[in-house]
Amino acid sequence: MTLHQPNKSLALLNSKAPYANNAGKDALDIALVFGSFEQATALFFQGDGVYQLMQGQDGDIISVKDYLKTFSAFEFYDIEDVYVCQQSLIERGLASDFHIEQVQVLNQHDFASKLTTHSTILRF
Amino acid sequence: MTTLHIVRQSAFTTSDFAQCLQTVKDSDCIVFTDDGCYNLTHPCIKQLSVQVELKAIIEHVNARAINLTNTKATTITMNELVALTFQTDRVITWQ
Repeated sequence: MTLHQPNKSLALLNSKAPYANNAGKDALDIALVFGSFEQATALFFQGDGVYQLMQGQDGDIISVKDYLKTFSAFEFYDIEDVYVCQQSLIERGLASDFHIEQVQVLNQHDFASKLTTHSTILRF
Repeated sequence: MTTLHIVRQSAFTTSDFAQCLQTVKDSDCIVFTDDGCYNLTHPCIKQLSVQVELKAIIEHVNARAINLTNTKATTITMNELVALTFQTDRVITWQ
């Protein structure tokens, strides 16, 4: 009898702005851990979480460790699936001006259906 | 009788700023700090019907790469915020 291990994948749903608390940093740490063990990992940004992707931010100004710079290491961890909610950008008057490249902007419907293709979802 | 309102949370996440707008009066002053700075680009700021001074902490705005050009806010330092607390009759921190 062979044990069929279903194709598991992890989605990390970011919903918090970068500097108010550690939620974004925690999500990033988990993404890198899963990436280093070659687990399929995708990152989703919704609500205030979209602020984590905005260009030109600098946590050093307010003496906060700037974990956003680590986002550029995604490719070394084979993290290629990064999605952002278009509705959240529009509500905040934000352009798709991200500090990392391969971000896919999805409308609300596609964002939800893409998210639910993953077997495990962790929200931060 | 003036009140200094210090707003620290984003109106996209909590209702703190909406409640602040319900209590603010003419010649009050609102200072945005931390994630409160995101409120400068929130639609509800357009609902301000009273004459209020809008200020934001410059380091917090710059750290978040927030663009103030289309807003009526001016930037201040933390020291200036402390001075402001002496110029108003009372202070409310919305957090």
